[in-house]
Amino acid sequence: MRGGGWAAALVATPVAVGVTYSLAAATGLAGYGAGGFTLDRVERVLGEAAVWESFLWTVRTAALATLIAGAAAVAAAVGFRGSSALDRTARALAVLPLPVPHLIAATTAVLVLGQSGLLSRIAASAGWLAGPADMPALVYDRGGIGLILMLGWKEFPFLALVAFSVLATRGAALEDTARSLGAGPWQRFRRITWPVLWRGLAPAAVAVFAFAAGSYEAAALLAPSDPQALPVLTLERYTDPDLARRGDAFVLTLLALALAAGAVLLHEWLRHRVERLDR
Amino acid sequence: MALGLLAVSAAAPFVLLALWSVGRDWFYPAVFPPKFTAESWRDLLSGERLLGATATSLVLGAGTGAFACIAGLPVGRSLARLTGWRRHAGAALAFLPVAAPPIALATGLQFSFLRLGLGGTLVGVLLAHAVPAIGYGSLYFLGVFAVFDSRIEEESRSLGATSRQTFFHVVLPLLRRPLADAFALGFLVSWSQVPLTLLVGGGPVRTLPIEVFSLVQSGQDRLAATGALLLLVPAIAALAATRLAASRTEVMAV
Repeated sequence: MRGGGWAAALVATPVAVGVTYSLAAATGLAGYGAGGFTLDRVERVLGEAAVWESFLWTVRTAALATLIAGAAAVAAAVGFRGSSALDRTARALAVLPLPVPHLIAATTAVLVLGQSGLLSRIAASAGWLAGPADMPALVYDRGGIGLILMLGWKEFPFLALVAFSVLATRGAALEDTARSLGAGPWQRFRRITWPVLWRGLAPAAVAVFAFAAGSYEAAALLAPSDPQALPVLTLERYTDPDLARRGDAFVLTLLALALAAGAVLLHEWLRHRVERLDR
Repeated sequence: MALGLLAVSAAAPFVLLALWSVGRDWFYPAVFPPKFTAESWRDLLSGERLLGATATSLVLGAGTGAFACIAGLPVGRSLARLTGWRRHAGAALAFLPVAAPPIALATGLQFSFLRLGLGGTLVGVLLAHAVPAIGYGSLYFLGVFAVFDSRIEEESRSLGATSRQTFFHVVLPLLRRPLADAFALGFLVSWSQVPLTLLVGGGPVRTLPIEVFSLVQSGQDRLAATGALLLLVPAIAALAATRLAASRTEVMAV
C-alpha cells in the first residue's frame, strides 16, 4: 500500500479500536460481567422494539432535516446565482451560520420553540393562545418537529455552500448552450440545472445526514423521551445504574457506527460517480 | 423578501441569545424582557464557573487545532498523491472518525482511555477531540493538495534544494492560509464538542459547552444564554478571520 493508504488507516485507527472494543463488550468478551463469547446480549438488544423505534426515528428525523436543508439550499443556489450585490449578500448570509455549534442552535431552538418560548409568547400576545399549555408541542414531541427544524437550520449553510459552488463551477456552459438553442427557463432547470445540482449535492447531503443522525446534544435538548433518539438512548444505557445493562450500549454503538460507515461508503461512491461526470 | 428571511435566520441566534442573557423578570407571555440586567455577565467575568470552563475550552481548542494541522497536513498530502479508487478508499478511511457519532466514538474508546490512565484528564480529552479533528484536517488538506501545483516543488528540487528545505521554505509558506483554516477547523471541532468531553472527561474536565449544556437542561435560561453567546462569538470570529471567500471552500466542499 502506498503512503497515503497507511496514513489514512492511521487516522481511522481510533474508530477501529472503538469498533473492536464494542464488539468484544457486546459479545461478552470484555466489560462488566463478561463471561465468554455469547450472542445473547446482541440478540436481546436487537430484538427490543424500543431500540428499533429509536433507530428508525433517528434515521427518519435526520432524513427529513436533510431534505429540508437540501431543498432550501437548492432554492437559494438557483435564486441567488447571479453576481449582483444582492445575490452576493444573500449567499454570504446563507453561509454565515456555518460555524454555529449544534449546541447553540439547539439552545436557541429550545428558547424559541418551547411551550413558553418566544413563538408561544408572540402567539399569546396576538391572542391565538390562552397560555403555554395551548402551544402545540414542538420540542420533546413524538414528531420531532423542533429537532427537525433545528437540524435543518443548522445543516442549511453547509449544503448551500456546496450548492453555490456546484452551480458556479459546473453546468454554466451547458445552460448557455441550451438557452441559445431555445430552451425556456423551466426546461433548463429541469434538464440541466437540477441534474447537475442534485448530483453535486448528493455526497454533501449524505454527510449532513450522518452528522444529523449522530448529534447527541441536539437530540438531548429537543427530542422526546419516547421514542428516544439513538445517541441519547446509547448514553442512557451506558450510564445505566444497573451495571448489567451497560453492555447494551455497545450494541447500540455498533449500530450507530454501522450507519455512519454506510453513509461514508455511499458518500465516497457518489463522489466517485460525480467525478466521472467531470471528465 | 427571501433575502430578509436569510438575514433574520442568520442573525436570530445572536439576537435572541443576547436578549435572553440580559433579560430580567422576563416571564410568559412577554415578548420582550421588561427589565435588563448585566448580572449574568458580571457573574461571568468575576465568577469561576463559566470563566474556568472557557479557559479549558480555549486550551483544548488550540491543542486540537494544532493536531488538525500537524497530523492532517501530511495525511492529506499523501492521500492527494493517490489516484482513482485508492484515493476514494483513503478518503473514506479519513472520513470515518468525522462521520462517526461522537457518542459512539466516546463509548467505544473510553475503556482504552481509562486503561491508559487518561480518563478524567485534560490530556485525555484533548486526544479524544483530536480523533475527529485529524479526520477533518486530513480531508481538508486532501482538498488543498489535490489542486496544489507541485511543479513549484520540482523546480525547487531541480535548483538543488533538499526535500526538507523545499518543504519548509517553499511549500509551507504557501500554505499559511490553509494552515490557518485547518487550525480554525480543528479548534471548532473541540470548541463545540459535548459527548467526547462528557465521557472521556468524566466530571473533572468542564468545558464551556458542557456548562452550557447542563445550564440549558436545568432550565437556567439566562445563564445558559450567556454561556451560549460566549460559545458562539469566538466560533464565528474564528471562521470569519480565516476564510471569508466561499471560493476558498470550493476546494474542500467539492
